[in-house]
Amino acid sequence: MSVEGKIEASEAVQLAATKRRAQIGTLLSLTLVALLALMWVVLSFSTKSFMTPNNIANLLRQGAMIAILALGETFVVITAGIDLSVGAVVGFTSVIIALLLTNGFPIWASIIITLLVGLAIGVFHAFGISKLGLPPFIMTLATLTALRGVGLLITNGATISITNDEFTGFSRGDFIGVPNLFWMVIVVAVPAYVFLHQSRFGRYLFAIGSNTEAARLSGVNTTGMLYVAYTLSSLCAAFVGILLAARIGIGNATQAEGWELQAIASSVIGGTSLFGAVGSVHGPLLGSFILTTINNGANLLNVNAFWQRIITGVLIIVIVYFDGLRRKKR
Amino acid sequence: MDETRQNGSGNKSGAADTAAPLLVLKGLDKRFGATHALKSVDLIFEKGEIHAIVGENGAGKSTLIKLLTGVHVRSGGEVYWEGQPVALATPHEAIGHGINAVHQEVVLCPHLTVAANLFLGDEKVRLGLLRHGEMVREAQKILDEIGFKIAAGAILSSLTIGQQQLVATARATTRGTRFLIFDEPTAYLTRQETAQLFALIGRLKAKGVTIVYISHRLEEVFQLADRVSILRDGQLVSTQRVAETNEEKLITGMIARSLDQIHYKEMVPFGAEILRTEKLSGKGFEDISIRVRAGEVIGLYGLIGAGRSEFVQSVFGRFPKTGGQIFWDGHPVQIRKEKDAIGVGIALVPESRRDQGLCLNLGVGFNINLPIYKRLTKVIVINPFAEAAAADRQIRDVQIKTASRDAPASSLSGGNQQKVVVGKWLNHGAKLFIFDEPTVGVDVGTKVEIYKLFAKLLKAGAGIILISSYLPEVYDLADTLHVFRRGRLVATHDSAHTSEKTLHETILTEALGV
Repeated sequence: MSVEGKIEASEAVQLAATKRRAQIGTLLSLTLVALLALMWVVLSFSTKSFMTPNNIANLLRQGAMIAILALGETFVVITAGIDLSVGAVVGFTSVIIALLLTNGFPIWASIIITLLVGLAIGVFHAFGISKLGLPPFIMTLATLTALRGVGLLITNGATISITNDEFTGFSRGDFIGVPNLFWMVIVVAVPAYVFLHQSRFGRYLFAIGSNTEAARLSGVNTTGMLYVAYTLSSLCAAFVGILLAARIGIGNATQAEGWELQAIASSVIGGTSLFGAVGSVHGPLLGSFILTTINNGANLLNVNAFWQRIITGVLIIVIVYFDGLRRKKR
Repeated sequence: MDETRQNGSGNKSGAADTAAPLLVLKGLDKRFGATHALKSVDLIFEKGEIHAIVGENGAGKSTLIKLLTGVHVRSGGEVYWEGQPVALATPHEAIGHGINAVHQEVVLCPHLTVAANLFLGDEKVRLGLLRHGEMVREAQKILDEIGFKIAAGAILSSLTIGQQQLVATARATTRGTRFLIFDEPTAYLTRQETAQLFALIGRLKAKGVTIVYISHRLEEVFQLADRVSILRDGQLVSTQRVAETNEEKLITGMIARSLDQIHYKEMVPFGAEILRTEKLSGKGFEDISIRVRAGEVIGLYGLIGAGRSEFVQSVFGRFPKTGGQIFWDGHPVQIRKEKDAIGVGIALVPESRRDQGLCLNLGVGFNINLPIYKRLTKVIVINPFAEAAAADRQIRDVQIKTASRDAPASSLSGGNQQKVVVGKWLNHGAKLFIFDEPTVGVDVGTKVEIYKLFAKLLKAGAGIILISSYLPEVYDLADTLHVFRRGRLVATHDSAHTSEKTLHETILTEALGV
């Protein structure tokens, strides 16, 4: 009897602790919203140019592309993997679509073909990871460098200008006052939300990230889900490649250098755990706009560009440290 | 327990100061949360004696080793090293005194050479540079001296497990060791290697090193040890001179049950046959024919490596069978992958909940629903109400104590985590449950809960295969008990046993092969 009494007492303590943890979790996502809001308020008071329609539209356009990349990256990171190639895929696919358009393909066909190229890259990643047994880090590191090479090879290092005004005009346009590029975030995020948080496939991604063995023993097709995750990541990156090509009007394999790190940073700031099984759709979106706001605000405040990089680095450490504190208590 | 004290005092009066004990444990106590792993153990280790410790799995032997080597810190009691009280709070401190252990599993660096492993952390250096040649020569000298036939320049992973074990032993003897613990050292050794090891142990004893020898193999205890202590349920049963005892006495000491061990069992009438294997063979087991009926518990008993786990993993589609046939509901079935087994209705509740059973940092409800998300999906979206209802039903039915269905599985106690795994499979509609060591590391109260869960499954028409290394458990719970030894089914007992005690001893003897 006394033993059981003790067990019950210790369980009561555990239950209370669990409830407290859940509250802290909600607090963090609110903190990110609050942090973003605070930065916007401070910047709109401290600079004249921040709260101008022009600058806000610019900020939304800048943030949109990193946001979509970060979203795709998040699927992979939730499975406890990583996709280092997304920046290279953006550059590579900008070349593909530029080539297609200059060779007279209609816009719709060019977009579909470019997305298929992205899909193929994702399938290749998943093949290397699940069939060849390469660690995700190595597999995607290899394609990171190789894809830039392929892109440079087919263009012979040249930049391809896109003369299709309809295509490039899209990135400058807006719809009911909101830039088209930002609408693209919503176009991607809504199905992503349904997929990750409301479909069984989303559940399987979390299960794989938490314990692949347990997922497999529960009848989950773990290999198939890896294909899904890496394909989605590359598909998002190819989509960003199209948007980037439209925005800057060129195709160039060296574009989007280092974007993979911004995507991973956005995802992690948004609460995704690099150990897997923790992440959301709204987290990386918030994370990417926090990063973009920092860069935008620092520009407006005339902060040295070198300092911007340092501030971004410090901020990543601070945010992820506090997030880790929260998680460690589990 | 009285014998211990007599022994201690007897020694003191016999041999004066020169033979003062090396290590004395007084009331050593260890709790892990609600689990009382070691209950006020008094032990005396003399200089230069070989002291065997025997007991069943879960009796507290590994806890004792971990306390002596500073891996865990004791919850109560005192430890005296050469008469001085010591803390033994860190492995570093234990090694500093000269306490070393050779573990059952080799904990060395497989990619380095034998010599590099021997000198790891204590390398020979000149001007900051490693002296490879000298280390290999020195290592070879050490190995030759202690009689191990191993090349010092070989990469560790190129050796057999047994040879690696000898390297670990050699390493433990080189650094001023005065107290050396062996945990099941011969489990992976060949006969020749065992002979080399025993010769070394003899030499160490002659040098005055105290040896603690833990083994399931009682014949080794009688061959080597001076004294033997029996642990049971975390308590010291007795310490005796080996010359004054025999195998029968030791076995009786190991298995006699304490009163607080409650094995809950309800008789359920047997139904139709669920699973039958005929002459099933595979890696690690041969010619196993068993039958499981609805409402029946089949116990598989044997030592680690006897082939029980390999057998059930093959039934579950983990490793392919090489011969024989599996029948489900009387029909032959092909089980090649886990998915096939899950498909027919077999559920595995794995030994390691943490590694194989649960997504620990995800919610309880998530874990419960993982196999049935397809069923909960409407078009492409999961029906959140059905999801919550399915989770809540299992939490209620199996009585999982959790803050909510969203609480992470890691926040639950061991027994409740076990219930989550079971609930998961009940949800899926499994009919045969394989439990692999379900009560390892859980306390008495949780054990009772798990046993009650068994009864619930049986009443619902399920069959159970129970693997356990803890004899009283399989003995009490199983309707039919199969004993495995070296990959073969060596004996079968059904529940209509006559004398409890004799059967106990018979089974243990069969499993040990003594």
